[in-house]
Parts: sequence; structure tokens; C-alpha cells
Amino acid sequence: MRNKPTCFLFLIGILICLLLFAMNLASGSVLIPIQEVMGRFVGGEFSKSSWETIVIGYRIPKAFTAILAGIGLSLSGLQMQTFFRNPLAGPYVLGVSSGAGLGVALLIMAGSAFGWSIYSGGFGIWAVVFSATLGSILVLLLMSLTAWKVKDSMTLLIVGLMFGSAVSALISVLSYFSGADQLKMFTIWSMGSLGSTQPDQLVAFLVAVLLGLLPLLVNLKSFNAMLLGEAYAESMGVNVHRLRWAMIVSTGILAGSVTAFCGPIAFIGIAVPHMARLVFKTGDHRILFPASALIGAAVLLACDTISQLPGSAQTLPINAVTSLVGAPMVIWLILRRNFSKEF
Amino acid sequence: MSIQNSILQATDLSLGYKKGSRSNVIADHISFSLEKGKLTCLLGPNGVGKSTLIKTIMGQIPALKNQVYLDTKPTNSISIKDLSKKIAAVLTEKINSANLTVKQVVSLGRIPHTGWLGNLSVEDQQKIDKAIQSTHINYIEERSMNELSDGQLQKVMIARALAQDGEILILDEPTAHLDLINRFEIMHLLRDIAKNENKAVLVVTHDLDIAIDTADEFWLMQCGLPLVCGSPEDLILQGKIDLLLPNDRLHFDKSDGKVRDSAEFPYPHIDGPEDMVKWVKLALRKNDIGPEIISITIKTEGSQIGFYLSESTDIRKFETITSLITHLTTLAYNRKK
Repeated sequence: MRNKPTCFLFLIGILICLLLFAMNLASGSVLIPIQEVMGRFVGGEFSKSSWETIVIGYRIPKAFTAILAGIGLSLSGLQMQTFFRNPLAGPYVLGVSSGAGLGVALLIMAGSAFGWSIYSGGFGIWAVVFSATLGSILVLLLMSLTAWKVKDSMTLLIVGLMFGSAVSALISVLSYFSGADQLKMFTIWSMGSLGSTQPDQLVAFLVAVLLGLLPLLVNLKSFNAMLLGEAYAESMGVNVHRLRWAMIVSTGILAGSVTAFCGPIAFIGIAVPHMARLVFKTGDHRILFPASALIGAAVLLACDTISQLPGSAQTLPINAVTSLVGAPMVIWLILRRNFSKEF
Repeated sequence: MSIQNSILQATDLSLGYKKGSRSNVIADHISFSLEKGKLTCLLGPNGVGKSTLIKTIMGQIPALKNQVYLDTKPTNSISIKDLSKKIAAVLTEKINSANLTVKQVVSLGRIPHTGWLGNLSVEDQQKIDKAIQSTHINYIEERSMNELSDGQLQKVMIARALAQDGEILILDEPTAHLDLINRFEIMHLLRDIAKNENKAVLVVTHDLDIAIDTADEFWLMQCGLPLVCGSPEDLILQGKIDLLLPNDRLHFDKSDGKVRDSAEFPYPHIDGPEDMVKWVKLALRKNDIGPEIISITIKTEGSQIGFYLSESTDIRKFETITSLITHLTTLAYNRKK
């Protein structure tokens, strides 16, 4: 695995990531020349002191949020695709993000619907993380129960979409009965935003993502065995039952925390692992794991840069941008011959 | 049968699934002893419980009564991880991922032996190379799995199981979907593996012909009957091979090891070399042309074969069996009219 092309690809990936990071810091409603950003990297000073505040106080946390969210979503997608042996599995399609949405909807809107209020700043972000994680784990549990009953991955996918719809319907009901303020708060949350994390929340996000990565890291070898299907994996001594739980916990925490801190972000989870497979031409998770993380971070940084609409004061919701980039990618992948068979 | 060579044993096993308090028995009175260095074939009709037996041996489902013993230790007391170091399998699942090369798939066989990251040691590499050598797939080592023929695919899966380096190799219908040549090749490969590497190889198969030619030991499974074990030669002579045949319409021909229709067929008199008479008989039987013919004589003239049909008055010559049969069927048709 430690062959030259792979190392070379990783090197290029890291360089692209750094470049995108710098571009991301440079773009926004105030355009900072990229050479100034680069200069600040190597120890120089900004020519305007206001740029320092903008970059350090706002754009760096946002860029790191994008990196963490990209890593989290891609790696939960990677796990689910391998585990379900389905190329279309991902946190969004299988309803995990919707589950997280339901958790947050309950937190923000159920209060007003039932006449009490939990969400009031301060510890709020923690409550959001907690409820989003809980919501996504709930949906994944249901999915896993279904996966246990039905062996066919297509059936599972359809059931996942149905769960997603059912959960969205529940959110609609909650929205209908909730107050205007809460409804607005939830709507804004559901458009996705990378810019709402403060440095202390960023630390929490980092911890959550690292925690979510642990079950995946421990089971890298088992995920490789899963490439041959559950029966073969079992014949190679993999405890598939335990792996299923590791996958549920890991994707629950990863997708749940990303959705909690940034709102729902579509398509990164499905598309990035495929990009990693295409670029690195391998199924080995020891390579796909860092590769998906790297590409995920790069793609979300790029999407965020696009969403800033360089040169204008307007920004697009990040969820819209990732869908616009991700949907054509997934369509293209499906149209490739034998995509689902040769996955 | 020396006891040292036996690696897996069971006595009076009951197989099946437990659903709550009810248990669904699929097969019982299963007793066997699997031996190292031998190719054992498990034969039986579909649905008789061959896959259940294999799953039980591999420790994926518990036996309902009694236990399977691996080196005198009950398999359900061995962890699935340790068991995977002893028993490797080739299953019916098809792997044709474009993202895996042949070598990567074979390397996956080392999973039970490697550390948490699955990095391969020098020893692992040697085992992988050896597995690739013994299955003769060096020439496709770097190909991706979706570029292989069914025969190559099966060899790769066998190499993967070999790399897993267990003393027992279990294969679930490895020759299904393969052409005749590949079936022979795979079964002979398995025989070589059993002999050269002193492994116990258990193959589920429906290819009676090839199994008789290659296996050291047969396990015959038939609905409601105990497992019958023995060498194919003994089972044929004892008539036990007929257990595989569902009813009296078919029987097993001891002289050439083929399954035949039991009903007597009134062949006409045929003269000629025995190997040729056989095929003319086959064609007559298939077309249901019988005693109304007086006689057929087969003669060879150089590379030409002539089929001479004696009719009531004259003798007609045909150059192929097809033309002979066409003539006879037309006659039979006219006679009926």
C-alpha cells in the first residue's frame, strides 16, 4: 500500500487542501488578497488590522468547521457504503441527517409547541449537539433493525428513504404548531451554516469528530473484510454484529455532530467516498480512510468558498451549494455502467 | 483411517435453526470425521441441509444436539477469531468489485493473522505469494476483480482461502456456473492442495462425475437419512451411491459411473466397434426408435464411418448418425400414418 503513486496523490491532496484553506480565508464579503493570507501564514502581518480580526475571529473557525464537517460526513458515508455494500448509502440518504434534524426540531420547536422553552443560548449548543446525535442514532437503530431483517440492500435503501420522509413529516407537524421565532430559528438551522461555531464550540466539535472516528479506526481491518460481504467477513473472524454497532455509534456521532453544529449538509457523505475510490483506485480502507477525509475537507472548503460568492456581499446556504455540486456527481456515478454491481 | 489425521469430528449431530423455544430440525444423525490430506465431497440434493452443515461446522450457527469437535475441542468453545485461523471458506457470494485487485483479495485472507491495522509482515507476504503460486493465478495478480472470468474468480477465492492458512478448507459449490474444463481444473487443484499441503478439504458439489474422479471420501446426505460416509469406490460397489437418486426411474451404472434411465430399452441388433455402438444406441434411445429395425452395422473405412441399415429387402448406407436417425424417424412417422 505504501507505493509511490499513493503517497504522491496524498501529497497533492494536502497541497490542494492548503490552497483551498487559504482561498477560503481570503474570500467573503470583504475580499482579502490571497498573497496577504499566505504572508500571514508564514509570520507576516496584514496590511489592515481589521483583516486580522476577520480572519482570526471568524474565518479561521469557519474554515476549520468546514474541514471537520467534511471529514465527519465523508467518513460516515464511507462506513455506511462498505457496511451496507451499497454505493448510495450515506448519512443523508439513509435518514441519519433527518434524524438529527428531528432531534433539533424537537429541541427548538417542541418547547413552543408544548408551551415550554429549553433552547435559550448558553448551554444551547450542547443541547443541540446532544439532541441531534440522539436523533441520528435513533434513525440508525431503526435502519439497523431493518438491515437485520432484510438482507437486500435496495430494500434497505428504500426503507431508509421512507424513514427520512416520515421524520420530515414529523418535523413539519412540529413546525406547524411552533412559534414564529422558533420556526425561523429552525429554518435557518436547516439551511446549514459553517459560520456559527465559536472557538469553544469548535473544540467540542473536534472532540465529537475524534470520538466518532475511534470506532472506525479500531475496525479498519474489519471494514476491509466487509468488502467481501458479511459471510466472508464472518469466516475471517470478524464479529459482524459488533461491527454493525460500531458503525451505528460512529456514524451517529459523526453525522449527528456535523448536523448539529452546521445543520444538514447534503451529498458530501455519498459523493466523497466515491471520489476517493476513483482517485486512489483502491478499496483498501487503510487508504480510503485518510483519502476520504482529505477529499471531504477539500470539497467542503471549496463549497464554502463558492457559497461566499466571491466579490459580492451575499452568501448562499451551504446546503444548497453541496447539493448543486453533489447531485450531478452522484447522477454521473449512477449512469456509469455496472456502477451498482461493481461497487 | 488413522485417528491422527482426523481434524474435525461429530457424532449424531442435529442441525437446524432455533426460533424462540421451537427448533426447526433440518437434518439429524450426522456423524463424520474430516481428515487432513484428503479431498472430501459432500453430495446431496438441494435443500437437504448441506449449507446448514457447513454453517454449523464454521461455527456460524450452533448444532441443536451434540457438537462439532475441532482437534477434540468443541467448536462453540472456540472464538470466531481463533476458528477463522483454522477454517477458511470459499462461499457462493460473488465478488466483482472494480476497486479490488486479485492480490488485494488474496491478501484479505491474512486478516485473522494481522494486527489491528492489518499490515502485512514478511511471513504474511510469503503465505500470500504461496497461495497465488499454488492456484496458478500469478498472471492475473494485478487485475481488478471485475475483469475475471468465473473460473479465474473461483481460483482467486480459493487462493484467498489458502492465504488464510487454516488446516481446513471448506468450499460451497465452487464449480457451479463453471464450464467442464474449469470444473475439472478446480477439482484437481483442490485435490492437489489436499495432498501437497496436507489440508482437510471439504467440497459441496453436485458434479457426481468429477467428484468420483477426484474425491478420497464422499459424504452423502439424503432427506431423513443419516449421513453416509465412505470412499466413492466403496459406496458405488455397495450400491449406496443410489441414495443420491430420487426414485427408481434412474440408476447408477456401476460399470462407467454414469446415471442412467432404469427402464429397459429394446435396442435393435447393432454390429460394430463397441465405442461406436454406444453412441448409436444413445441416439436411438433419445429418439425412441426401437425394435422395428432389423439391424445396423457400423463399418470404418479409413477416416470415414459408415452406418449400414438393413431394411426388409435392401441395405442403406448413411454417413452420419444424424442422417440415419432422420431416415428412421421419417419411416416411423410414415408407419404410424
